[in-house]
Amino acid sequence: MSDALFQPYARSPLDPLDLAGQAVRPSPENGAWANEVRLLAYLTLRGDSADPAYARAVRTVCGLSLPDAGRYVSGVAGVLLWRSPNECLLLTSRRQAASLRVALVEAFAGLLAEVVDQSGGLTTVYLAGAEQVTVLRHMGGYDFGSLEPGQAIATVFGKTAAVVMRADAHGVHLIVRRSFAAYLWALLARSARPYAFTVGRLPAAGTDPVLCLQEGATVLDRQDRVAV
Amino acid sequence: MFLIYCPYCKATREEEEFHNAGEAFIARPADPEAASDEEWGDYLFMRKNPKGWHWEQWQHAAGCGRVFAVKRHTLSYRIAGSWTLAAGKALFLQEGGV
Repeated sequence: MSDALFQPYARSPLDPLDLAGQAVRPSPENGAWANEVRLLAYLTLRGDSADPAYARAVRTVCGLSLPDAGRYVSGVAGVLLWRSPNECLLLTSRRQAASLRVALVEAFAGLLAEVVDQSGGLTTVYLAGAEQVTVLRHMGGYDFGSLEPGQAIATVFGKTAAVVMRADAHGVHLIVRRSFAAYLWALLARSARPYAFTVGRLPAAGTDPVLCLQEGATVLDRQDRVAV
Repeated sequence: MFLIYCPYCKATREEEEFHNAGEAFIARPADPEAASDEEWGDYLFMRKNPKGWHWEQWQHAAGCGRVFAVKRHTLSYRIAGSWTLAAGKALFLQEGGV
């Protein structure tokens, strides 16, 4: 293949399902609706959260203090989720990701800490609607009704695991591995079918710290190709 | 189904999220080169399998991924508690565990 024909573009894990083409404005009759939050950037930060130097480095670069167990914090740099005592996941925009990664690598110099770009390996599904908690209860065993804004927990959904993050009262984000994204979507769509499930157009970000990150990115429909 | 408390997530979750990782606190022979075949075989293969209280390792596979210690009754399935491995080991030794 000649170089002229090779035009790489970012393809989100659920793009083959053509969600953008199916998306409609959800109505109140739709008890549950969902869509993919496409092409966010995901940085995994590893380091001992008990080490003040590590916490300081993260705060200097991201402007965020490390989250407590089972919670997340958000700011301009993005959303920092607690994954384990020595691991956090930073959701950010693709625009900021490269500079954040470089800045974090520099800040971590001399520390037992690392940053790994996992943008190609994860995706986020936004679930909303009046019956969103009922749908989650069909999918997994966690007490999803107790999940409050500010909480992000990892749990099992059928054959896969995903992080469930309650952004605000309107909806939750499910962060899942790329390889399991289609499975999670199928499970979600099947579980939500009795509640007039539809693929919905993502709303304006409002207070949602994750939807904020893809602002500008959502105006691209699937024909638009994002250069990488 | 067990409800297991994860000392790292500081939350009680369903067994579905965890993997059992076998008996806890199996002491490795201090000098493997000098250990007899029997000692080494015991270390590798022999397990207690008690009827009663048992110290086990569980991994919070779908959550934080960490391994921790659980004291569980193998007959009644009651769980006495969960500890990080370091805290659990101290308690295990206090109880006279070997």
